[in-house]
Amino acid sequence: MAFYLTKRALSLLMVLLGLAVMIFVIARIVPGDPARIALGPLATANQVAELRQEMGLNDPIYVQLWHYLVGLAQGDLGKSLLTSRPVMSDILQALPATFELVLATVILQISISIPLGVLAAYYRDSWIDNITRILSLLGVVIPGFVLAIILQLLASYYFTSFPVTGRLDPSLDFQANTTGLLLIDSVIAGRPDVFIDALRYLFLPAIALAAGGIGQVMRITRSAMIEVGSRDFIEAARAYGIPERVITFRYMLRVASVAPLTILGLEFASLIGNAFVVEFVFSWPGIASYGVRTILQKDLNAVIGVVLVSGVFFVIANLTIDVLLGIIDPRHRIRGAQKA
Amino acid sequence: MTGEPILGISGLDISFTSYGQKSQILHDVSMHIDQGERVSLIGQSGSGKTVTMRTIIGTLPMPPAIIERGSIRFEGTELLTLDKRARNRLKGTGISIVLQDPMLSFNPLLTIGRQMDDVVRFADIRLNISRRRADRTARIHEVLRNVQLADPERICSAYPMMLSGGMRQRVLIGMALLNSPRLLIADEPGTALDVTTQQEILVLLNRLVDETGMSLMLITHNLGVVREMADRVYVMERGRIVETGTRAEIFNNPQHGYTRRLMEAVPSLYGSRVTDVTNERAEDAMIKVRDISKDFPLRSGLFNRQVGITRAVKDVELTINRGDIFGIAGESGSGKTTLAKMMLGLFDATDGAITMDKLNVHDAAGSRDFRKLVQIVYQNPGSSLNPKRTVADQLSVPLIFADFDRSTIAARIRELLELVDLPARYASMYPHELSGGQKQRVAIARALSVDPKILVLDEPTSALDVLIQNVVIDLLQRLRSELDLTYVFISHDLSLMRNFCNRVAIMFRGEICEQGETPDVFANPQHPYTRALLSAIPVLTDEEAAQKPIIEASERNAVLLSTTTLN
Repeated sequence: MAFYLTKRALSLLMVLLGLAVMIFVIARIVPGDPARIALGPLATANQVAELRQEMGLNDPIYVQLWHYLVGLAQGDLGKSLLTSRPVMSDILQALPATFELVLATVILQISISIPLGVLAAYYRDSWIDNITRILSLLGVVIPGFVLAIILQLLASYYFTSFPVTGRLDPSLDFQANTTGLLLIDSVIAGRPDVFIDALRYLFLPAIALAAGGIGQVMRITRSAMIEVGSRDFIEAARAYGIPERVITFRYMLRVASVAPLTILGLEFASLIGNAFVVEFVFSWPGIASYGVRTILQKDLNAVIGVVLVSGVFFVIANLTIDVLLGIIDPRHRIRGAQKA
Repeated sequence: MTGEPILGISGLDISFTSYGQKSQILHDVSMHIDQGERVSLIGQSGSGKTVTMRTIIGTLPMPPAIIERGSIRFEGTELLTLDKRARNRLKGTGISIVLQDPMLSFNPLLTIGRQMDDVVRFADIRLNISRRRADRTARIHEVLRNVQLADPERICSAYPMMLSGGMRQRVLIGMALLNSPRLLIADEPGTALDVTTQQEILVLLNRLVDETGMSLMLITHNLGVVREMADRVYVMERGRIVETGTRAEIFNNPQHGYTRRLMEAVPSLYGSRVTDVTNERAEDAMIKVRDISKDFPLRSGLFNRQVGITRAVKDVELTINRGDIFGIAGESGSGKTTLAKMMLGLFDATDGAITMDKLNVHDAAGSRDFRKLVQIVYQNPGSSLNPKRTVADQLSVPLIFADFDRSTIAARIRELLELVDLPARYASMYPHELSGGQKQRVAIARALSVDPKILVLDEPTSALDVLIQNVVIDLLQRLRSELDLTYVFISHDLSLMRNFCNRVAIMFRGEICEQGETPDVFANPQHPYTRALLSAIPVLTDEEAAQKPIIEASERNAVLLSTTTLN
């Protein structure tokens, strides 16, 4: 298992390095002079040239890249032209809110889609199956931001206990300083009122963000369960008198969970993309609002930083999935080990 | 017959519904199995054997199945009306099963020990027995030793994929025996395995029946297996029991036409029913395999470094003449498929060279000329044909590549279908509308479309029933003489090879251990592995059995891998 993990972690580091190089190069070759944009139209040619020199824009691109990577290895993402602060600290400030939202979304996805998929497979072709089919179709076809707006409208008229903007009631006066995650920090600080309030704020954006993934993963769980259910070892288990409950969970779901988990990992990329829009709709103080502002301002260091952070998210999510698959399916870890 | 039989089925009618249509699958099936008796149920696929088995063990999905009429009594208890709890109590403890494919009958994610423990633990719960985990483990180890597995502890901690097919089959039998069932149902035991392993499994089953006094119901299509395993036989055709009798009655004096056809369709290994195949053409080397080897890299470690090689084919030397039907036999892993792929230019040889009709395969592979020279027919037509395209579509693909004019393609397709005895209207059908034999004929037609001179036949009949196998074999014989073809026939079925090939080569661990004219090799096998293979084949008559080569246990163990110990 340790071998398997090292191998996976190493290959994911390579992915991140590749991403950093690619996004850096793309950011440098797009037209437009960052120094000019930063200084505004009124700056003199001299001032621009000075800033270019200061930012190192006159060096050859591979030198710039090298400086950037060295900085990156030390946790330095450069300075934001927009806020004049280190990009790293800007991102670290906005990150927890996004992380909390994404985490809540994934938990929601897993805890809704897999049980529903199992149910749909178990009651195949019954009304339960049909209803989940319609739900998943709706979840997949309605874009996240449309759902976000619909939910917002519904909440402001009918379900007013779910706030439609922000992350926490400002009157609560609470600073999430330990982990940055409201749900965890409120528990640490012993503030149940904050915990409940944070949940209320989290609910709608998380639903809006989770819907597409839920639909997909649910259908995949269903078909994987049905496929596994027709395998010989399930018939054998039935004939040996193993109870149906044990067969469904230990024998079928365990084997069937490989496909939905893999999809969940891949879905993560579109989840991050959707998070940008959904955060915007709900005025969620996460990395999205920062990302959108910096992109519009061509604040290159910040843009690269945001993309890299999204990449880290994706890579960590997939590493987690790989570890889970390794635990669930011995073939994932033993195949490598046997050859060694 | 004394007392009530352990299992009695009478007047069983079963129907299936699909999309509102009802069709009857079993018609008035009656049979019985006595205490300690070994009864065999034989028939082709689709004859209703599996439905019968599932009804007995209670895993028949209802719906779509409906039991219309009849009764199944087990030890005097009517199973069909028994309440669910009592029925479940019998599962694994009264009646147990060994499913066909040991590769597919395990949960791939759980250790063997865990799966076996589940079987014992839930049986204990059903029977209100309380046993500690250590006691259950002791029982599991006892059973594993009883199926001759030497190292129960290591087997228990292994995952299914770590065991060989033969070992899995043993574990599977052990799994069925964990709760000491009184009736064991074995569905095609060992048929998914190599013939030498199959023989060991049959010997083991026979011994277990003798020792435990349990009854055995053996479901199979292999008449040779029946002869070695059954006291009494039921023959099933299209959902009906058409004949029943003792083994001697069935084998010596079959009454029903279907039974007789089945018997005649089984190719003989020895005796008067064997046909010798000859090549009438003057000797003219068509395929020359010169000292060929193939290595596969073994990769491992963090950067997938190459850490070693496996030599799949070692220094093979063959000459196949124009008009030959050349058989390459061997068990799984012997390298026969690798050799065939090298002949087809799909693998590049590590050493040595192959010439096919004067073309060097290494240079010509992938060229138009080479594709027109050699074609292949795969084992399973169900997966080698594209399920989403019509027969005509599939036949036209190679024709387009071979520069056939659009206007002549339709005519050529009709011609090809006629060649393989299929009516022209089949051109517009999809593979799922065809039977297995018809699909394989389409696959043959596809291979013939570009008018090749050499056909590589990779187990072309092993996915087919024995009656259909003969039709396909006859077709191949006819095509050889009509179209002047040369066949390379790859198979593990030596009985078929005896009657279909004029020359054979036996492959053993990547090497050719023996080759020659078919009658010579079979009459006087030199290599111990050839003898081990031949002696393991289940045959139909005592006369044939007597002519099989005899092999000493020590000699046999030297050439066969052990299925009883982990290596």
